Amino acid sequence: MPPKRKAKEAVDSDGYDSQEEEALSDRETFDSLRESFDVKAMAKEARAARGSNAASFLFKKCDQFDVGLKKDHASRPLWIDDAGRIILESFSPLFDEAQDFLINIAEPQSRVSKMHEYSLTTHSLFAAVSVGHSSKEIIDKLEQFSKIPLSPSVIAFIEKSTSSFGKAKIVLKKTLSYIESDDPAILERLLKDSVIAECRADTTVGLIKEAAPKIGAMAIPGTKMAAGANQIAHSSLDPQKPSEMIATLRDEDDDEEVAQVHSFQIKSEERERVVKQCQDIGLPLTEEYDFNNDEVNANLDIDLKPHAQIRYYQEKALSKMFSNSRARSGIIVLPCGAGKTLVGITAACGVKKSVIVLCTSAMSVVQWRAEFLKWSNINAEDIAVFTSESKNRFPRNAGIIISTYTMITSTRNRSYDSEKVMEFLRSREWGLLIADEVHVVPANIFKKVTYSIASHSKLGLTATLLREDDKIEDLNFLIGPKLYEANWQELSEQGHIAKVQCAEVWCQMTPEFYSEWLKPSTVQKRALLAIMNPRKFQACQFLIDYHERRGDKIIVFSDNVYALEKYAKKLNKAYIYGDTPQAERLRILENFQHNDQVNTIFLSKIGDTSLDLPEATCLIQISSHYGSRRQEAQRLGRILRAKRRNDEGFNAFFYSLVSKDTDEMYYSSKRQAFLVDQGYAFKVITRLEGLEKCNDLAFYTPNERKELLIDVLLAKDTEGDTEKIAGDMFGSRFASTGGKARKKNGARRTAGTLSELSGGQDMAYIEYNKSRNKELKQKGIKNNFIRKLQQKSVNAKKAARG
Amino acid sequence: MVKAVKGTLVKCDASIKAMLVKMDEDHNHEFIIEDLDEEHVLVKDSKLAELKQRLQSMMKERLKEPESSDSD
Repeated sequence: MPPKRKAKEAVDSDGYDSQEEEALSDRETFDSLRESFDVKAMAKEARAARGSNAASFLFKKCDQFDVGLKKDHASRPLWIDDAGRIILESFSPLFDEAQDFLINIAEPQSRVSKMHEYSLTTHSLFAAVSVGHSSKEIIDKLEQFSKIPLSPSVIAFIEKSTSSFGKAKIVLKKTLSYIESDDPAILERLLKDSVIAECRADTTVGLIKEAAPKIGAMAIPGTKMAAGANQIAHSSLDPQKPSEMIATLRDEDDDEEVAQVHSFQIKSEERERVVKQCQDIGLPLTEEYDFNNDEVNANLDIDLKPHAQIRYYQEKALSKMFSNSRARSGIIVLPCGAGKTLVGITAACGVKKSVIVLCTSAMSVVQWRAEFLKWSNINAEDIAVFTSESKNRFPRNAGIIISTYTMITSTRNRSYDSEKVMEFLRSREWGLLIADEVHVVPANIFKKVTYSIASHSKLGLTATLLREDDKIEDLNFLIGPKLYEANWQELSEQGHIAKVQCAEVWCQMTPEFYSEWLKPSTVQKRALLAIMNPRKFQACQFLIDYHERRGDKIIVFSDNVYALEKYAKKLNKAYIYGDTPQAERLRILENFQHNDQVNTIFLSKIGDTSLDLPEATCLIQISSHYGSRRQEAQRLGRILRAKRRNDEGFNAFFYSLVSKDTDEMYYSSKRQAFLVDQGYAFKVITRLEGLEKCNDLAFYTPNERKELLIDVLLAKDTEGDTEKIAGDMFGSRFASTGGKARKKNGARRTAGTLSELSGGQDMAYIEYNKSRNKELKQKGIKNNFIRKLQQKSVNAKKAARG
Repeated sequence: MVKAVKGTLVKCDASIKAMLVKMDEDHNHEFIIEDLDEEHVLVKDSKLAELKQRLQSMMKERLKEPESSDSD
């Protein structure tokens, strides 16, 4: 295209920009709109006007060489660049105040010990507006904290984002949908849109005017404020003089006249369309639920037990959800072990309507139910469980149902029972939907959930709001903005989660293994060679021995089932993987928790999430899912509950064993990125002190190593694959790449005589490498005294009978 | 008659040694004079430069380098 090229020649440096603008004007899709709301693009436009110098190419995104510092910059904690990136000094006296503010308006990127990095995004500003910040307030505060004057492009970005986002709300009142706003102009703008006008339900010309609800009337259960509110409620029961009562009533009326909201009704069935259309025209709707005034749906009798004290960060998170005394949909991000479940339960206690909880696996369904019974006074029969094993319903009008994502979204033919329960779920309205581990749920599955379950508000809970694909953005539209994200380091400083020493142990490959590794073969085989590296095995054994002697409880993680079995059998430890029967799993976990003979268990990736093992204080990772940051963080989460040890300043240890000079090194550095951003430091250990002196290690002689190598080489390629777990979101193709189902071992036929097999000939049968799992099975009563006692009672019974 | 070959002692990680041995095998054993132990190997002095270059390209090919963080 000749005109474009001309432009490029004319302005050499910003030719790229002008090209982009042309492209923008062509497209009218939602994507383009999003782009125009991008602070980087806006900064780029502004920068085109500015000059450049020799160092400019180093600062492509934002060159701020000509920005002057404010005079008292030393006492101000923020640096805000043109790209909307905010650097916060965590040693500043104003740190706490600035952090509280930033967490509302920006997304935390990285929070290491001295510097924190946040970034302003449309979504974060959207969230800021939805919790009640005005654009003027945001700009003033930023200006106050910033070392440099705010650049016009950032100000323009904030104004543009806040003026269009979160101004209109979609509200369910008496199960009817309304669109509500403080500003009638915005509603008029919406009604001009043909699609939305079509979906309007009421026929009146004007808008509905109503008194605005009072802000901050809601007290979160379990806090001091709630206790105070109760007292007020009691005192107001005191008889009042009529004249005073009238006066107070009048006062209230006066207050209400000041703030007013306007709304119009839309057809409930067109709700999805309206939400989508509003997003398209750049005026997304916030979803809020006025549960106090909902008289249609039955109230649920649920309250926190008096002993349940919620912590300050949980209160902060919930106050964002419940500000305005309505339930706002959104996502709360808390590290594992910081009490996500309690946040969910408290939210349910706040809403006091029917609640549906969705989790990732049947195991966590059981845990959620137990937590509900532990923390709240709910009647046990009001909590129903909907899994493949049990399909209950609650008897009364309101209750709680706990289920898994796969149960709700399954498209296969259901059994009669579960079809009936699904019908029940679809037919009613839910006050609150709690989505546990929301990061693993792919967008299309969640869409299905929202279509089949009509819930007034949705709460997403997660520890790691990240995915290797960029699907995480979709959650913003499906559930809501991120309401709160906790600071991991702060929580561990305060002792709410364990302090963890992270280490990466580099294990040399032995020459034999490495020369095999170098040979061209499949990816799986190479990965297997790296995992089965004898040096790694020895390091693992050494660490297990060392920590068992210290009295730690150890979990060893391996994604690879072949390696898991080999390691566990060789070291004579119990292990659990996807195919382990449920009863055996529970027995092993119980033994791990209470039996001091069982200090180490091997887990495949079924143990990655939602498995509460508060006893574990040491974690060793021998194989993992490529460069998945989420897996690393989730695994670390398994030991964040550990608080019983406190020597050397750490509660728990996290080792990641890596074979040197293999792909593992590359993936390991990628995996750590998220935890490093949360302020964790990984110590690299190249040599374990005392490893050489141990001569009782496995694969000590070259001969043993050779045998192992042959064994590994003979292993089928499929063994190198990671396992697939049915009924678990992690195994699904959405959450991870590839992963074919493991092949079942077929029958094997060998020739031989019967006498040989029965030991009639010169052959004895010894089982090497037998599984510890079997041993745990037959744990009879060992103590002589107790056995005698039991024997006696049996005999006595016999005597009585006979 | 005694034949003398000038050699250079290479001390390296076991994994790098495995690479050197593999390269040697692929090229008719023209690099290595003597395989000493897990971490030591004696190579021909004359082929040192070539060996270095080959090792570098091999490492580049086989090992993924951790991405350096973008400084923009």
